[in-house]
Amino acid sequence: MNLLLFFKEGLIGLKRAKLSAIITIISICLSLSLIGIFTLLGQNLKDIFFRFYKEIEIEVFLEPDVTDQQISRIESTFHRFSELKSARFISRSEALQEFQKIFGTDISGVLDENPLPASFRLIMKSDYSTPAEVEKIAKQISDLAGIQEVIYQKEIISFIHKYFNISVIIIGLLAFTLLIVITILVFNTIRLTIYARRDIIQIMKLVGATNYFIKGPFIFEGMLQGLIGGGLSLILVWLTTKLVKTIIFPELSISTYLYLFIIGLGVFFGLVGSYFSVNKYLKYQ
Amino acid sequence: MIEFFNVSVQSKNKPLLKQVSLKIHKGEFVYLIGKTGAGKTTLLRLIYMDLFPTKGNVIIDKYSSSNIILGQIPFLRRKVGVVFQDFKLLPDRTVYDNIAFALRVIGFKRREVKSKVLNILTQVGLNHRRYHMPELLSGGEKQRVAIARALVNEPFILLADEPTGNLDPDASKSIIELLERINKSGTAVCMATHNYDLIKNAPHRTIVLENGEIHYDLAPENLHKISELK
Repeated sequence: MNLLLFFKEGLIGLKRAKLSAIITIISICLSLSLIGIFTLLGQNLKDIFFRFYKEIEIEVFLEPDVTDQQISRIESTFHRFSELKSARFISRSEALQEFQKIFGTDISGVLDENPLPASFRLIMKSDYSTPAEVEKIAKQISDLAGIQEVIYQKEIISFIHKYFNISVIIIGLLAFTLLIVITILVFNTIRLTIYARRDIIQIMKLVGATNYFIKGPFIFEGMLQGLIGGGLSLILVWLTTKLVKTIIFPELSISTYLYLFIIGLGVFFGLVGSYFSVNKYLKYQ
Repeated sequence: MIEFFNVSVQSKNKPLLKQVSLKIHKGEFVYLIGKTGAGKTTLLRLIYMDLFPTKGNVIIDKYSSSNIILGQIPFLRRKVGVVFQDFKLLPDRTVYDNIAFALRVIGFKRREVKSKVLNILTQVGLNHRRYHMPELLSGGEKQRVAIARALVNEPFILLADEPTGNLDPDASKSIIELLERINKSGTAVCMATHNYDLIKNAPHRTIVLENGEIHYDLAPENLHKISELK
């Protein structure tokens, strides 16, 4: 029953202070849209990064005179490395076939014998895809008997890792700053809404309404504003995603959770903003 | 019922009340008179505990200003009705809703609200105006609505802070008549005013405040001691 009263009074409140309610809703909508877009950017950057990192390969070339016994010993050593996702042996003849496939040239016709060494193609687990981990593994492997050379894309991995980290830090800082700004903004606009309706609070206090009853409608109103702001922001983020997907980046992916997150964050901001604003007002009174 | 024990209220450097002691008994009608700044509103605010004494103690029913906890104040206010010179009505609600609001926010059920509101509207003579918005009412009618809202929860005392300050003489007279009727039904009334004509026509116990002190506390038969009432 109280909830019904809070809801009804919350709606009346929205109708009464239209301008400040609109300002609050717009503030919530724009702030959430920015947060949504940042999250989308971060998520897609992470996806691209992990897509690349899933495929980090280390090529391990074996000595030309390596025996079958040594090969199986090396292979079983690889299986003991927890950092490795897979290890595939490529014999000299397979390497030759691959060469012909890639370059379209049959070198066996030019040279008397197959010059390509046997090798292992290792794939790192994404959890261990940092430049330091890859380098550590490469060093350990090159120390094994029967290994001629260990090759991986050291510079590219370092480059991407470095810039991914910087991007994550920048996006994180921006999102955090935005979160603080939106909290202050929402808190203040809701405070203005409450201040504009101090007469109703005064009457409620005079007739003996408890703080719970006084706060209830304002909290409902705040949540409603958050819900509307979140809903509008969801539409804005959805439209932006569609636009970017169509015009710039078709691989852009968006999680349904992001929409839920935006709506949830809107309601949360409305709730927390109104709770603290009305609390502060009542305390001041 | 209401007792003040050596109550002083200090605001920054200015004393608002000095060593005030008084009693208001059950069902009494009391006027508070005095110039602006004499301490009338301060005294009323102490009764509904919108203000606390700097020194001394105020006892209202079973509540004491010295040890009341903040959570108890709403329950005290349900026993004390308050009306003001500026009515403090909600402009976007009908007469009925303005009064019903006072009951809804303290948790009354819809059915109880309806019967209580219609009953009090009949008492203040505004049943026919229940669906009207406050802007369509005269000053006297607005004050009646404010009184109805203050009384709808059946308080033991009605505090009226200059209730006739915005009204013409006829409307003021009818408000006093209403307050007297309310008083006769058992509710104590404590009214701050500086309208001496009203007191002359409807004499009751009168407390004269000057610079935050009680200058006189007179029974109706002794009101001639006040020069303005001679």
